[in-house]
Amino acid sequence: MTSRRGFIAGLVAVGACPRLSWADAGSPAFLSAGRAPNGGYAVFGLGQGGQPVFEIPLPSRGHAAAAHPHRPQAVAFARRPGRFAIVLDCVTGREIARLEAPAGRHFYGHGVYSKQGDTLFTTENDYEAGLGCLGVWDVTADYARVGEISSGGVGPHDVRLMPDGQTLVVANGGIETHPDSGRVKLNLPTMQPNLTYLSLQGEVQEQVTLSAEERLNSIRHLDVRSDGMVTFAMQWQGDLSAARPVLGVHQRGQGPELMSVPRAEALTMKGYGGSVVFWGKGQRLAVSSPRGNRVQLFDVAARQMTGKLELEDVCGLGVLGDALVASAGTGEVFQAHQQATRLWQSDVAWDNHLVAVNRGA
Amino acid sequence: MLRISTLVLAMTASVAHADLADTILDDIVLPGFDQLATSGQALDAAAQADCRAESESLRTAFGEALDAWTAVSHFRFGPTEVENRGFALAFWPDSRGKTPRALNGLIASQDPVAQTAESFATVSIAGRGLYAMEFLLYDAAISTAGSVEYHCALTQAVAADISVTAQELAADWHRRYAELMRNPIDGGVYQSEAEVAQEFFKALNTGLQITADMRLGRPLGTYDAPRPKRAEAWRSGRSLHNVALSLEALERLAMQLAKAEPEVAGQLGSRFDIALAEAKGLHDPRFAGVSDPSGRFRVEVLQRTVNDIRAVSMGALGPMLGVSGGFNSLDGD
Repeated sequence: MTSRRGFIAGLVAVGACPRLSWADAGSPAFLSAGRAPNGGYAVFGLGQGGQPVFEIPLPSRGHAAAAHPHRPQAVAFARRPGRFAIVLDCVTGREIARLEAPAGRHFYGHGVYSKQGDTLFTTENDYEAGLGCLGVWDVTADYARVGEISSGGVGPHDVRLMPDGQTLVVANGGIETHPDSGRVKLNLPTMQPNLTYLSLQGEVQEQVTLSAEERLNSIRHLDVRSDGMVTFAMQWQGDLSAARPVLGVHQRGQGPELMSVPRAEALTMKGYGGSVVFWGKGQRLAVSSPRGNRVQLFDVAARQMTGKLELEDVCGLGVLGDALVASAGTGEVFQAHQQATRLWQSDVAWDNHLVAVNRGA
Repeated sequence: MLRISTLVLAMTASVAHADLADTILDDIVLPGFDQLATSGQALDAAAQADCRAESESLRTAFGEALDAWTAVSHFRFGPTEVENRGFALAFWPDSRGKTPRALNGLIASQDPVAQTAESFATVSIAGRGLYAMEFLLYDAAISTAGSVEYHCALTQAVAADISVTAQELAADWHRRYAELMRNPIDGGVYQSEAEVAQEFFKALNTGLQITADMRLGRPLGTYDAPRPKRAEAWRSGRSLHNVALSLEALERLAMQLAKAEPEVAGQLGSRFDIALAEAKGLHDPRFAGVSDPSGRFRVEVLQRTVNDIRAVSMGALGPMLGVSGGFNSLDGD
């Protein structure tokens, strides 16, 4: 802990509450869940050098997190089919609130704040109905749950806010699961993933489905560019010899475009797109595959693959300036323009996602 | 220190991989799918000979076909994933009740789609396969619904379709997929012996997961809400039987995977023994006991013994095979 953090924590403790920002939490560039060497799980703040700047223990394995747009608060989600989402004060490490999934719901590990940070949306499973929804929580009322809206599909994994601040985009993976059967997939023969755009009140504005031959490509993780282009990473549920794409892009009002690569390259991703991110000033794309131990790099305008980074158990992706950042279960954090250089080696196993903090639109 | 043990692990792993594909394919996978094809043909013949729901010979043939499927149901890659073959044979679990709905729809309209094999293959997969056959033979409502003639035609159509799919599966294994696994090549579906070993390792874990989380987890539900009607094949009383069969099949696979390391094989063997003994001692063929505390306890114990096998598989067998220990890669999101 830096002395400033200790000082702030002391002020908070005596009831003098200065207006805090992410600077007071060590100015993390990213949040990431991870497993500590002793086997315990925590959510970490990572600095610009890839180094941990804070660590807050979690009751069980975490997944993604949602960073408040301006307060040093984050919601750390349990890995599905988890029931906890813990709101953490990233300065003091204390729990501000704990969100509990209501009866008949569990979290999917992702969430997003509204632009001003007064509302939180969480991806959830209405598992008796086999339908996805978004929980709605009022941040200003101590994170009271104020309602839920349909996610427009089954199995909503990721949700992002569009640049207009008025629209949510949801990756409905299409796969039905039920807590009684753990993570087992229940509806593969009839699954239908989609990308759904919703108003903050829950009105469906646009839905995107893939072609019939891509029906088994579960749309899972998202990134949004400042001009509103959405990119999505997919996980193929059929035979891997089909070598389907794992990356796509979409612009409102148009059809989805999947990024094809030569068959040999496609096979190396093992049908699994983990995280996805726009980088290089939005001109480039990256998609990770921990099963393929690699990241594929693309030029957005040309819709072409331009390179790859072979990194063991790589999964989380983010941006720092115009560089790409990647985290791996080996504890490494990398930075890349063309090749990857290792920024940091930690003894923490970084988990699936890097969540950007304080990122500009 | 870390470097040396990584090297040792890599060397052990390559020893473990040698000949693994050939042995597992020739001793387990190909005979397993051949048995499925043979029992599918026998089921077809039995339905032609006597299509009544209460026919002993038909029910026996059904049981043998379901047994054969259970023994290979964890090999969900390659041929089963082409043209929905796996789901066309085994649409389970059916959490939304699509199978009875599909069958009732066909029966109510006496849909002529059941008259020929070609047309029947166009029926929704919820209405096809072994679990649909179970409804036709054992479900109180569906086994007596509609006219006797239509019921017979439908039963024969489902049986013939099972036979065709099972034979296509076996053929695809023999003609195409086994070769891909025997001879990994650069740019191929499998690029190394290690990837082939990983595929079989995943199949083992898939099978253990299906048995622990689906075959046992679904009927267990929660203490306040047990769900005995979610037990697999409860109508034909085969829920526990399928658990035992799957454990036996998974043990054969595990022993081959662990062959190069007697210590790991020993650990796996003893956990399988415990699980199988637990299954044999549990006198609850359809897990009806999950609804009461003492019966439930026994099923939970059985589930725990299967999870103990999973722990050894992940903790000892995986590293032995050099399967990437990365926790992002193994578990997925």
